[in-house]
Amino acid sequence: MVGLVGVVGVVLSLVARGEDGEAAGRSVSLAAAIPATDPLGPPPRHGLAVPRPRALPTRADAVALWAPVLHSVALRETPSASGRVVGRVTVSTPERTENIVLVIGATRARGGLWIPIRAAGAVGWAPRTALGGYEAVATRLLVDTRAFTATLRRTDGVVFRAPIGVGTSAAPTPTGSFFVRNVLTRYRSAFYGPVAFGTSARSTLTDWPAGGFVGIHGTNRPELIPGRISHGCIRMRNEDILALARLMPVGTPVEIM
Amino acid sequence: MHLDLDQLDRDGALRETAAGVPGETRKDFLLGTLAGGGAALAALVLAEPGKAASKTDVDILNYALTLEYLQAAFYTEAERRGALRTPLAKETTRVLGAVERAHVRALRDALGAAAVAKPFFDFGGVTEDEDAFIKTAVAFEDLGTAAYKGQAYRIDSPALLAAAISIHSVEARHAAWIRYLAGAPPASAAFDEPKSMPEVRKLVASTGFIAQKPSTQSKERPRFTG
Amino acid sequence: MLTRREEDPGTVATGTDTAASRARFLRLGVAGAGTLTLGAVLAAGVPRLGLSGTSQSRDIEILNYALVLEELTAAFYRQALARAGLSGELREFAQVVAGHEREHVALLRKALGPNARKVPRFAFGKAVSSPERFATTAIALEELAVAAYNGQAGNVSKPVLKAAAGIVSVDARHAAWIRAIQDKRPASQATDVAKTRRQVLREVDRTGFVRS
Repeated sequence: MVGLVGVVGVVLSLVARGEDGEAAGRSVSLAAAIPATDPLGPPPRHGLAVPRPRALPTRADAVALWAPVLHSVALRETPSASGRVVGRVTVSTPERTENIVLVIGATRARGGLWIPIRAAGAVGWAPRTALGGYEAVATRLLVDTRAFTATLRRTDGVVFRAPIGVGTSAAPTPTGSFFVRNVLTRYRSAFYGPVAFGTSARSTLTDWPAGGFVGIHGTNRPELIPGRISHGCIRMRNEDILALARLMPVGTPVEIM
Repeated sequence: MHLDLDQLDRDGALRETAAGVPGETRKDFLLGTLAGGGAALAALVLAEPGKAASKTDVDILNYALTLEYLQAAFYTEAERRGALRTPLAKETTRVLGAVERAHVRALRDALGAAAVAKPFFDFGGVTEDEDAFIKTAVAFEDLGTAAYKGQAYRIDSPALLAAAISIHSVEARHAAWIRYLAGAPPASAAFDEPKSMPEVRKLVASTGFIAQKPSTQSKERPRFTG
Repeated sequence: MLTRREEDPGTVATGTDTAASRARFLRLGVAGAGTLTLGAVLAAGVPRLGLSGTSQSRDIEILNYALVLEELTAAFYRQALARAGLSGELREFAQVVAGHEREHVALLRKALGPNARKVPRFAFGKAVSSPERFATTAIALEELAVAAYNGQAGNVSKPVLKAAAGIVSVDARHAAWIRAIQDKRPASQATDVAKTRRQVLREVDRTGFVRS
């Protein structure tokens, strides 16, 4: 700041040097009129500590975006109202939470804005007006069904890892890209433990009531973990699911391999 | 090492999930983590907001914080969505976003536990269309300037007043900058007018940008595959 | 400040209500022609609020300090328009800002009444001899004005603070504007500098612009 004052002063004085005769007289000092102790005191130090402005992290995959679904719409193969329908998004989940989707690419402007999204069971284009506001998450869950681990990564690295139980070969946990859709708590069920996350992943088997979605939840049989023990859900010990609940917000992408 | 809650809690992950853990309020959760040795975290989070700041000052800081949340989220989303075409618009968005995020940090740090939570925003496509974005940015920066102007004289603490006044002129620069970009007069009158809190709140509400947080939590018994 | 989300189970809503109110919001932002309600506070004379004479006499001293800076800037723009060979964007900038500074001077003089200091005489020499020199000097003067006002915010009475805040933000707009014209970043810092009176007047002295 002192340097800036000096530079400005030098610039001002360089610029002013040299008369053009438009006003006679020597220059006068305004500062000289101020008493040794200026009755106009100095400005106080700022009561806010404002940090240096910082750019956003530039890694494209550092952040995922999700949005709630405001209106049930068809998902299209192309960003167009006449594109082939590849799925549908609804406003609610079977758990009666507001349905959310992941935003997986850039907006296209084509007679309105279109957004490429990943929903439960389909990937396609939806009109921007069908979605609510975007929320960013910095976490990502990696589920390894062969190593029986769930790892939560964040922009600052791995923040959680735990052993898991996964689906049996008769009812395997599906693999692919999914996301956390909701979180259930305060229900009474020792089977599911204290917390359950709903994901957008569906069991490959059909005829499930409530759609057959795969959850991530606790258990009343921790001794079975790790192992192929479930009907598709990802189970972990109760202390682990509670720790995960402190770290993993809804909308977190889930990669299952 | 000075632990910064924001660095641990990028994008509010901690705050959100804390709210979802059964039987625990956010405050309980934060106190609970102290047992794990987060002493520096305790010093930051449990600090008295502004060290005996008056209620007026706390209210004004929270009011400023809400507006800064709004602006920061607006520019951040526009930058992330990458829908801006011209290099000038992109550069302006980068710089303005960085400054508004710094303002958010400053106000949150000063307020500590008294800080209002970040609202849920729905910009409804405005951050994804360059013309709409620039027009709205003009309105936001003019509004921010008028809002700070409307409150500065009410601030009790001389130190907070100095800070607010200094942010106020920065917002005015932003307003002129984005107007220049928009092809609008950067300074259209000799005197800028203040806006009152009710007026500003009403204007912000009229945008519909502050929305209710989607309800993604339930007490339903899980009916997953199991 | 929360708005309730509108439920529209059937069709995709166009959100016409939101669009209409948002359009109003944008018009308010872009129009920007303020009334002088703020200025009216000062135009009625230096406020006689304040518990003692010192508060009012301090206001007068600060307003006179502001006045000399505004007189300096107003004269600078006048001279530049006459001599600096300005055209295009720079000329438009100088014309608009000259008008603003004239209004600032008028307001301060009205507020001070008989307490207004004598106007010094100014000479700007090479500072108004070319568009480039003009632009560099304009940036420096507008930045100085912002730092000067910010430096006194804690010293003035609340009514004067209200009015002065309406002036400093316009000077900040001027600073950003001329920087943008010159392809410099209009604002990169998160906070603006505040300078003491002595710092500001020493910088003015170094210019040699003040002649009597």
